[in-house]
Amino acid sequence: MTRQLGTFAGLLALCVVLWAATPHFLTVSNLLNVLEQTSINAIVAVGMTFVIISGGIDLSVGSVLALAGIALASGLASGVPAPASLALALATGTACGLVNGTLITFGRLPPFIATLGMMSVARGAALMVAEGRPISGFTEGFRALATSRWLMVPAPVILTAVVYVVAHFVLAHTVFGRATYAIGGNEEAARLSGVSVRFHKTAVYGVAGLTSAIAAILLTARLNSAQPTAGTMYELDAIAATVIGGTSLLGGEGTLAGALIGALIMGVLRNGLNLLNVSSFFQQVVIGAVIIGAVLIDMSLKRRR
Amino acid sequence: MRRLPGLVIVGVLASALGLAACNREKPAQTGGAPKVAFVMKTLNHPFFLDMQNGAVQAADKAGLQLVVQAAEREIDVEKQMQIIENLLQTGIKALIVTPSGSREIASAIVKANRAGVPVIVVDTRVDPKAIADNNLKIESFIGSDNYEGGRMAGDYLAKIAGGKARVAVLEGIPGHETGDSRLRGFRDAIQPHPGMTIVASQPANWERDQGFTVFQNMLQAHPDIDALFACSDLMALGAIEAIAAAGRTKSIRVVGFDALDDARKAIAAGTMEASVAQSPRDMGRIAVESAAKVLHGEAVPPDQKVPLALVTRTP
Repeated sequence: MTRQLGTFAGLLALCVVLWAATPHFLTVSNLLNVLEQTSINAIVAVGMTFVIISGGIDLSVGSVLALAGIALASGLASGVPAPASLALALATGTACGLVNGTLITFGRLPPFIATLGMMSVARGAALMVAEGRPISGFTEGFRALATSRWLMVPAPVILTAVVYVVAHFVLAHTVFGRATYAIGGNEEAARLSGVSVRFHKTAVYGVAGLTSAIAAILLTARLNSAQPTAGTMYELDAIAATVIGGTSLLGGEGTLAGALIGALIMGVLRNGLNLLNVSSFFQQVVIGAVIIGAVLIDMSLKRRR
Repeated sequence: MRRLPGLVIVGVLASALGLAACNREKPAQTGGAPKVAFVMKTLNHPFFLDMQNGAVQAADKAGLQLVVQAAEREIDVEKQMQIIENLLQTGIKALIVTPSGSREIASAIVKANRAGVPVIVVDTRVDPKAIADNNLKIESFIGSDNYEGGRMAGDYLAKIAGGKARVAVLEGIPGHETGDSRLRGFRDAIQPHPGMTIVASQPANWERDQGFTVFQNMLQAHPDIDALFACSDLMALGAIEAIAAAGRTKSIRVVGFDALDDARKAIAAGTMEASVAQSPRDMGRIAVESAAKVLHGEAVPPDQKVPLALVTRTP
């Protein structure tokens, strides 16, 4: 909890600095703008947080996002009703995740290797299905998922909030969530205390695939187009959000609140640096420095305990 | 001790931003000037740097405050959209954009239209269907006639090869209007020559290293390739390295696109035959001049073609 307060303080401090630096930052429209822009990374970070708490890593989320987006767009473009197309996207993402999980648990592959392979397989599959080209032009009804507003709040922000509430409940208040922490803390101990490690670990990667697919739906609606090249390097953004939020790459600890704050810090930073007209090259330096800084603190805290 | 993490993070962020703030362009000197945003595909490509230079000079002349931004990666349409959204928050008076995706950019242009900010598109044309579907309002498009450029490359290659060649093609990122048009122009130009056959055609995503590997693979599959059209010079330059690595320098006729400095050197050295020259500097200049006109309420032509020229060893 302390650590999240620390990260939250960091986010607030960042906002204060930006408020002082530019009059364009602290406006209702810009803050909603930041929340909307953060939503995709924040949702991908949900699955990443589950995976990292369980002691793993998922490098395939960006590619899976692209494949799920292409599945969705192919469905919509060939006249499959929207609900069925959405289900197809969610199923595609979850299936990719479950394959990752199966390779890791039953195939005994290190998560890094299994998901590295999936990163390439899913990207290639997306390019094959789409024949390398974006699939675009959807109905207003579908696009409303990203473009509509409810009491001024953009739909993606509401969807992100729903995803976080549900995921937080699962992680903090269910057997599944406790098993996730237990496996990440000490897999052997979890096994001995009766947790079905293989089942839970496989499912955790399924969650990562599912949240990638949810993000894919948002991205496709937002751009009115699904690109087979979408989501490139999103895995790094999601890992960054998760670790800035205090989730340990060693597994066993971390929270979704932290991941959300981490995603917001990255979103606010990018937004602020744009508003200040900082070059995109320097933006990368700043974001990298923040990631390193956050993890340095994380490590030094652990040593102190 | 418990307070430490927060404080340290604050420290990190504050110093990062402090640095960032130092990096700001000097707003004081250009305080009253209308702010115009130029959102590029990328800033790590000589073509776009030339475009930026042309734009900056024109902005100085026109008394505009020019803000130039680009996403980290050329293909990242979502980040480009975020940049546009963010800049729209800063009260820009006009938006100039080189779209990273000819369809995806529509969503960002809708936002600019809604904010009443005039939009000028450079280099990559917005998909006509996307314009119609979203009712986009675009003041002007400034770009090369990429189809015509592809034709020029095809005609020249057919001429120097005597109408007979086994041709490889390196394509840009699939789905990009720019590359697609060059490709169509090239194919249409060589079509009347029955001796010109395309034996391999694959994307190398505008990148030099991919140009190298993709062409190396093509040479493995088709050792008899004796001509190459690359939809951009960076890919052509990569392929030239692959040709050298295969010990086949000067046995394959290479025609590129963009006439980058390195390509001009390769043409002078004889490792490359020709390149279609665009004028990115003129594009940047005309874009900013058009923005200035729009801000003064003057009319600008909806379609402004920037002339192309073929750069060869013997002009």
